[in-house]
Amino acid sequence: MQSIERSLFSRLVLRVALVLALGAAILVTAAWYYARAAADDAYDRLLQGAAFQMTESLTVENGMLTFQLPPSAFELLGLAGRDRIFYRVMAPSGRTLTGYDDLPPGIDLGAVRSTPVFHSAVYRGTPVRVAVTGRALSDPAVSGWAHIIIAQTTEARAELASQLTLRASVLVAVMSVLALAGSALAVRYSLRPVADLGEALRSRDPQDLTPLAVAVPRELSPFVASINHFMNRLDDRMKLLQRFVADSAHQLRTPLTALSAQVSLINDDSLSDRDRRHLTRVRDRAAELSRFTNQLLSHAMVIHRFDSAQLTPVNLTEAARKAFRAAVPITIDPDIVVSFEAPDEEVTVLGDALSLREAIVNVIDNALRHGTISRLEVRVAARDGLAMVDVEDDGPGLSAADFDYLTRRFTSTKSGEGSAGLGFAIASEVAAVLGGALRFREKTGAHGFTVVLELPLHAQEKS
Amino acid sequence: MRATLATLCALALLLFAGVAGAVEGDRVFFKSQQVQSAVLTIHAATDLDAMRPLVLDFQQIAPGVSVEFSDYVTNDLFREAEQACRQGSGPGDILLSSSVDQLVKLANDGCALQHVSAEARSAPAWADWREEVYGFTFEPAVIVYDSTKVPPRDVPHTHDELADLLRREPEVYRGRIGTYDVAASGIGYLLAFNDARQAPTIYGRLLESFSRAEAVKRCCNAEVLGEVANGNIRIAYNILGSYAYAAYRKNPNLKIVVPRDYALILSRGVMIPTTSGNPDLAARFLDYLLSERGQRVAREQAFFFSEKSPLPDGVDGPAALMESGIGRPIRIGPALLAAQDRILRERFIADWASLIAKPLN
Repeated sequence: MQSIERSLFSRLVLRVALVLALGAAILVTAAWYYARAAADDAYDRLLQGAAFQMTESLTVENGMLTFQLPPSAFELLGLAGRDRIFYRVMAPSGRTLTGYDDLPPGIDLGAVRSTPVFHSAVYRGTPVRVAVTGRALSDPAVSGWAHIIIAQTTEARAELASQLTLRASVLVAVMSVLALAGSALAVRYSLRPVADLGEALRSRDPQDLTPLAVAVPRELSPFVASINHFMNRLDDRMKLLQRFVADSAHQLRTPLTALSAQVSLINDDSLSDRDRRHLTRVRDRAAELSRFTNQLLSHAMVIHRFDSAQLTPVNLTEAARKAFRAAVPITIDPDIVVSFEAPDEEVTVLGDALSLREAIVNVIDNALRHGTISRLEVRVAARDGLAMVDVEDDGPGLSAADFDYLTRRFTSTKSGEGSAGLGFAIASEVAAVLGGALRFREKTGAHGFTVVLELPLHAQEKS
Repeated sequence: MRATLATLCALALLLFAGVAGAVEGDRVFFKSQQVQSAVLTIHAATDLDAMRPLVLDFQQIAPGVSVEFSDYVTNDLFREAEQACRQGSGPGDILLSSSVDQLVKLANDGCALQHVSAEARSAPAWADWREEVYGFTFEPAVIVYDSTKVPPRDVPHTHDELADLLRREPEVYRGRIGTYDVAASGIGYLLAFNDARQAPTIYGRLLESFSRAEAVKRCCNAEVLGEVANGNIRIAYNILGSYAYAAYRKNPNLKIVVPRDYALILSRGVMIPTTSGNPDLAARFLDYLLSERGQRVAREQAFFFSEKSPLPDGVDGPAALMESGIGRPIRIGPALLAAQDRILRERFIADWASLIAKPLN
């Protein structure tokens, strides 16, 4: 149903990286192009200078075209240290005056005037840059355009271009890495609300159906709104269901009370043993039913109270003491030793006194009904910033494996006892709503099976 | 008229040299010290006496190598190497030449192999072009005089003083001053060409004075020095320091002056041609020449001058040749290509010949 997709983070970062790589490639290409143009431009000036010097040296003496090669022209070209130089001086007739007679002009000489014309070519298997320039001769003996062709290998240009490109590439690479790192951080930061939302949903109490109060960016708010809408509907359903249960329980109570009264009116003396046994069972079942109905009501009441009641500081000792009194019946077996311990200082928690009492009553009731053989201890204490109500009995207790099931509704490990009901569920719900928890401690040699209601201490009153 | 005659003579000499290029020069075989495993063929335009200690010392570290050393005139060597490069094959594993401009021309034409090594990197920047042509010696162009005939007050310490001396005492030194014939000698041409570039005015005056004094022109170092030694001339101009010092060691009366205004410094070139049959061995020899050991042997036994050490004993000259800027190395680089231009060379030689041959008065 739910297929695993790649994470949003990797999708985004991958795409950003692709765009950056493409951009870097374009930039490096552009840098290379410009670097080459710059190198060509720089070294073309040397060629141009040399070409000018050389054309100056073309003269007509005594009707003869002569050429006095200026060594400074070669010194100028020598600034491109490693590059080889080829040149050719051509008379208007096309005759080579001096230089390399196999150096081709490479372009139409007829079009070349005194401004040097540059082009790239290959001469003797080496790439060269060629400058061709001309000089008009107007001597009666020699007239027309004489040409000078200078070719220089391109090592210095290539070196300069590659150096420039390398530097630009390093810059581009550094920028790309920075941009990618920045993007990754930004993406991670942008995606944090999603994780936060997930975390908020995950850490929620299963019972909590109130709307999510996480601040999310605008893009996520429809999603949160949907969740909240859904929760709202679920909550309405739950409330409806609870009201139904409460109403049912309430409706059941009256006929049950009547039933109990009617059963107690039956004169069992006149019954046969067998019928009497049946009657006893009917009475027990009726009592159980009535208790269960009461629990249902109390559960509904607790839930209802948390929907409406404001939490106030509550003296836990007081609440526990009231619960202890309510839960331990006057008719208790005199062999059972019950005790209540509380510290001298006040233990205050933020809560609702009635719900708290109800929770503790249920825990004690549960212990009396299912655990206690001869001893029941209720202790209120404040430890490690937590307020605790321990209910310890000397019964066989439960094993750790069962703890998870205990707080669910209508489960019991002792199948023979019938439905254990809602006791732990109510206590657990109250604890959860108040920010605490219901914990269990296995029976060991030192102490008996203990149920602990843990609640955060109300800090203000702690002193 | 005399000018054209001189030009014709120069051209004839050039032509003759061209014909003679096919003729092989002196060839000496240095047998390997151990069983011969390889033969290194050195084609050189540099005198054998100077190279002998270097070759022998090289054989100390490469005992299995025999060396075949062929001596050429610079122009012949150049012609042969050009031809070999054009044909794609030719004798000679490594070329040595004092006419370093010719090696630069060869490298420019793509006839040289690149060689990079730690030793090669130690060569000064001015003595290395494209890692193809290296200069392995340090040779100032000096003035040599016969101290028995030239009184101390006449001894020239600069180019100007030499020119002045010849003007002041024309009768004393007429026919008593010698220098290279630039038409016949590649080194002479290179030095003269660089003199003209370095200090055109002084060089003009000097040439004029030479002409007045009816200077004696000889083809080579050895001959000019020979004329000094046998008393025919008293002052020789632009002699390579190494030859001059070798002559001084034989005859202490031949005193050496390194000019104090400027001194051209030539570095003999070495290059591995693309046609080298044994480039690895050639590279080894090149590395040896540039190595500390090779440089030491060169300084002590072959060429006597070195960039890093002071002037040898008995040589008069500026204290710090390079630091003071007086030493002007002839930079091995593309600028030397200009010296190889055909028209420029012909004109330069013709002008030189006409200037020096024709007394102005």
